[in-house]
Amino acid sequence: MIESEDELKRVGRFIAEYAARLLGAGVHTSRVVRNSKRIGRSQGVDVRMTTLQKTVVMTLCTPSGSIVRTEVIDIAALPIGFELNSDLSALSWEACDEHLSLEELRRRYERIISKPRIDPMFVLVVVGLANASFCKLFGGDWTAVGVVFTATLIGFYTRQRLQLRGVNHYIVFVVSAFVASICASSALMFDTTAEIAIATSVLYLIPGVPLINGVIDIVEGHVLIGCTRLIHSLLLVFCIAAGLSATLLLVKNSLL
Amino acid sequence: MEIFWHTIARYNAATWPVQIVLVAAAVALTVLLYRRPTSTVRKLTKLYLALLNAWIAVAYYSVYCAQRDYHYIPAFFWGAMAAVWVYDLCTGYTTFERTYRHDRFTAVLYLLPFLYPVFSLLRGLEFPGITTPVMPCCVAVYTVALLLAFSRRVNLFVILILCHWAILGLSKVYFFRMPEDSLLTCSIVPALYLFFKEYIDTHLDATTKPDARTMHRLLVLLCVVVGVFFAVAIVHEFAEGIL
Amino acid sequence: MIPADILSDGFFAAVAAIGFGAISDPPMRAFPYIAALAAAGHALRFCLMEALGVDIASASLCASFLIGMGSLWFGTRIRCPMTVLYIPALLPMVPGMYAYKVVFSLIMFMQNLADPVAGEHYMQQLFLNAVVACSVIFMLALGATLPIFLFNDKAYSLTRRKKP
Repeated sequence: MIESEDELKRVGRFIAEYAARLLGAGVHTSRVVRNSKRIGRSQGVDVRMTTLQKTVVMTLCTPSGSIVRTEVIDIAALPIGFELNSDLSALSWEACDEHLSLEELRRRYERIISKPRIDPMFVLVVVGLANASFCKLFGGDWTAVGVVFTATLIGFYTRQRLQLRGVNHYIVFVVSAFVASICASSALMFDTTAEIAIATSVLYLIPGVPLINGVIDIVEGHVLIGCTRLIHSLLLVFCIAAGLSATLLLVKNSLL
Repeated sequence: MEIFWHTIARYNAATWPVQIVLVAAAVALTVLLYRRPTSTVRKLTKLYLALLNAWIAVAYYSVYCAQRDYHYIPAFFWGAMAAVWVYDLCTGYTTFERTYRHDRFTAVLYLLPFLYPVFSLLRGLEFPGITTPVMPCCVAVYTVALLLAFSRRVNLFVILILCHWAILGLSKVYFFRMPEDSLLTCSIVPALYLFFKEYIDTHLDATTKPDARTMHRLLVLLCVVVGVFFAVAIVHEFAEGIL
Repeated sequence: MIPADILSDGFFAAVAAIGFGAISDPPMRAFPYIAALAAAGHALRFCLMEALGVDIASASLCASFLIGMGSLWFGTRIRCPMTVLYIPALLPMVPGMYAYKVVFSLIMFMQNLADPVAGEHYMQQLFLNAVVACSVIFMLALGATLPIFLFNDKAYSLTRRKKP
């Protein structure tokens, strides 16, 4: 059990890092709180935490209440990672069931976060296919499906390149929505369902994960962070709308 | 459809001397790239490609095809391609280093632009109402061939835009009765396969997610699906033409 | 209302779910289950809307509830949190066409400020589509989250190796 200030400090650092990593990777709040408390329990520490969009504040204390420590950690905006979510949740159960030491926990944690992410080129192609089948779901014909496929490839590649360069998130969304929809607007040259093609070409950008996470957070009682997530994703939706409307204003005469 | 072929005839009648100069320049530059690939030649090739794309955007689409509906969309498109090449010229991204891997296939691709007018003549069309090597689809085929032959490091943007153009070409086969364009769509599928194969070979191994073997299988599957899709579309079109 | 329509609907929904799921980097073992859930959910919504004439929001609620229950079931088998499975599966049901029409009618409204009749028409379109889009998204998230509330203990310990 924890006996010294120093030990509590090390446990606190780890749990804070763990929680910030989960929140940054787009996990809904109640899961992060549950997992962190579970790890804390496995180390013999009570954890209470407040989560905000950019920071986590947590207080750790020993069961007797003799030693108390507060950690505040920034949440880095990481790309969404479901595998991280799944593995780190499993880690919290392992900590609880196998009574892992902090060193072992830290070792497994490092191994999990150094796993390779899914290959960007694979994502590029499947996103293209996904958007194309979306077009089919909305009633586009085969020409529109083909056009949406390649338009999405170009748009998504633009997004990947811009994100690699560290361009502002909102600008990335506006630009890639514009690129994808202008490419899809070339379907107008043919007698096909061009409007559906233009409409679906930008849908790969919809921030579905934060939107749904926001609603989950709100119904689970974390209203504040839920609203923050919703507002954040709504801003992204507005950015998509801005990029799309730039295209529509260019070619709109035909859609009247 | 009448407007479509009419604009092509007008373009050919007015610009055939320039077209010959452009084709000659392309041949000269390609030979130089193979024989003496100095950095000046590489830069000249990029400059030439930028000029060629700009020519398609301005001369072909904005001037001679102004009667077509939405001529400004492809004009914008090819303008963007020219801009990408200018950007490439400034940053030196594409290195034009030869890979020797796909030589036979690229040889076929180099021939295709010259097959376009032959194909048109065989169909019984007459000059000037035929497809020529300085038209969007031929330029696309030529660019694909160049990039494949010198594929050490290629700008994926160019390839994706060309891919988009190939899909549009397939639609043109359908809507404008232009079977010549099926040449482009037929050549883009193996080209895509080779580009992605190269990516998989250089970037992926057993530890990446997904691993190289799965990725390769998926690529083959994708190419087969796209190929069948194209084949059905083209066969359908030809069957309709005969009936 | 032909079986082929339902099947193709499910197939395209599955492809869409795999693609949009891949952006969020799920574990490779989850892909088949994501595809199955998305296909089942979307096909159910399609059937409800086409055959029974249910409105899009209620149909989405039913479909997302099915997806939520399915993710609880599959989650225990492959030890994945429910959200990892159901969020990608819900994405094909996001009402994209309505969202597009919101943007489109907003633009057209701004273009027709001088014409009150056209302006009124576009304003009405704007509200109609916005209300549908928002309520469908809310219903989707709600329906998929319901199983978490119903089976609290089970839903919270999906990634646990040793079952108590």
